[in-house]
Amino acid sequence: MSMLEITDITKDYGASRALHPVSLSVDEGEFVTILGPSGCGKSSLLRIVMGISQQSGGEIRLAGKRIDMLPPERRDIAMVFQSYALFPHMTVEQNLRFGLRMKNVAKAEQQRRIAHAMEICTLTGLSSRMPRQLSGGQQQRVALARAIVMQPNLLLFDEPLSNLDAKLRDTLRHELVALHRRIGATSLYVTHDQAEAMAMSDRIVVMNAGRVIEVGTPLELYRSPRQAFTAGFLGQTNLLAVTASGRKAHLPWGQLVDLAEDAAGPGQVSVRPESIGIRACDRGGRDTGSCAPATVAGVSFMGASALYTVAIGDTLLKVSQAGGDALIEPGRTVALSFPDRLPLLEDRAPDREAA
Amino acid sequence: MTALSDHAPALRQARSLRFTSDDRLPVAISLYASLFLAIALPLGLMFLWSIADGWRPPNLLPQAYTAARWADVLADDGLLRAAINSVVIAIVVTFATAIIALPTAWAMARFPFRLKRVVEVFILAPIIIPGIVVAVGIGQIFLALGLAYSVAGVILVQIVGTLPLMIRLMTAALETIPDDLIHAARSLGAGTPGIVRHIVLPLAVPGLLAGGLMSFVGSFEEFDKSFIVGAPVVETLPIKLYMYLDPYSMQLPLASIVSFLLLLPALIVFVIAGRVLRDDLMAAGMGKI
Repeated sequence: MSMLEITDITKDYGASRALHPVSLSVDEGEFVTILGPSGCGKSSLLRIVMGISQQSGGEIRLAGKRIDMLPPERRDIAMVFQSYALFPHMTVEQNLRFGLRMKNVAKAEQQRRIAHAMEICTLTGLSSRMPRQLSGGQQQRVALARAIVMQPNLLLFDEPLSNLDAKLRDTLRHELVALHRRIGATSLYVTHDQAEAMAMSDRIVVMNAGRVIEVGTPLELYRSPRQAFTAGFLGQTNLLAVTASGRKAHLPWGQLVDLAEDAAGPGQVSVRPESIGIRACDRGGRDTGSCAPATVAGVSFMGASALYTVAIGDTLLKVSQAGGDALIEPGRTVALSFPDRLPLLEDRAPDREAA
Repeated sequence: MTALSDHAPALRQARSLRFTSDDRLPVAISLYASLFLAIALPLGLMFLWSIADGWRPPNLLPQAYTAARWADVLADDGLLRAAINSVVIAIVVTFATAIIALPTAWAMARFPFRLKRVVEVFILAPIIIPGIVVAVGIGQIFLALGLAYSVAGVILVQIVGTLPLMIRLMTAALETIPDDLIHAARSLGAGTPGIVRHIVLPLAVPGLLAGGLMSFVGSFEEFDKSFIVGAPVVETLPIKLYMYLDPYSMQLPLASIVSFLLLLPALIVFVIAGRVLRDDLMAAGMGKI
């Protein structure tokens, strides 16, 4: 059953449109991430769902009830802010208690919920600290605990990990998802970090320029994106312009590859660096013919893999090779192998509908 | 090696700009010396003048002393009454100023609007224009409204003077509250009254305290506006004390006594505030002037 149902939400600033009609839904217990570059409208959308920003049109339903006309304090949604927004003049415990007091929750129940939240957010022993006495990670946990004591129908996260250093971010990423499962919450999470989105989400909503580009599970979107933008934004890829006819398409340097389905005319295909096979050719050996056009232009060793830049015709390809015995040095000619049945990508141009 | 020695003098210089424990004594001495010169010395001279019975050059100290003038002034029944008047008026003015200033400061701090600079200048106008000009203008109107010669009139006219600084200080305090804090409070179920009570007011405390102290002292020591609107029916302490001054000749002994009595309330208020409040709160609020 869908807990949150967003239908055709728009947002205009004067004459310019920040959100084109956006629709999405979040099922009960689901962890959905809105992913996009900065300025794509993801935070605006989140603020509209919370009610601290007003939509220009459209409808929002939470647990079947229409909420888009309600003020934020009556929406039964809790939000974790990027800045944490802890009340600086209250102790950790008072921060947690604030929402319960505002909602007139009984004293005993307040106590029970606060103790529970403190425990699952590993804040035990910090209850009388002031926010400024806490580390960034602890402040982040307090912000989370303050949201979950409310036992809201929906939890919103506005890039809550982006102010933390990389290592802590990794740890908290996993803690956050584990917590989400444990309390059975429904969460809508906003981030511009594609690795974060893939690691945490049940489903990802990719946004760009005020539009939803594509929705899917992390695996679907990474392995078989339908939109060129998704392919480029999630992980690394080579986006190649092709001309298709029937089931075949010519890559920029003339090589013929198989497509997943029939198509005609110009389009794009995405080939992940790790799905291209790379093999050094023998120096002046038998297979010079098939090797001729591809040359290693650069290599960076990443530890678990090596990332090559390979020049083929006028194109530079990123190719990654995991666990190679030795690096192929720059200047060597290489043989590349491409995966079969490449899907032809659509390109949802940002201003197509505006025209 | 050469690079290292090139940097060495610069490093030494940078280090010498910082205070070390060796500097503690000279720093303390010069600090207290300047405080003494700026505050204690003038006050001491004033006190000497107030008890001097004849003090002419080239004598460094008065030839004789008398407590008679202090006794005369303090024996005046009207003085106590005027002091009580002043305290009551100052308290009412302070609270009224705070209540009136809060919404204005909130708007100034939170909402961007056109002509904001113009409004700011308008708010500060009573500080820029001499009090006597404001007083004469308002006096006319109050006379017509029947507010002249009343405590209410004096309170109103004093608020004109205390409002600008209070608005300024509170605006500065409210500007430091991040929007997200308000949004978070709303998402946690707080309506506007709850936000004002639990979030905005507590966080505006430094500004409120600083503004309150300035308003209290400003009201207590205010003369020209209260004089024109209130005198001779409403007598505040400054009005009463200024009466002791002879308009035709400068009498330093009496002027000294008046100065001392006017200084007292400000001193008491700041000493109490200093005891009760944390230093950082005081500094945070006062720093916004």
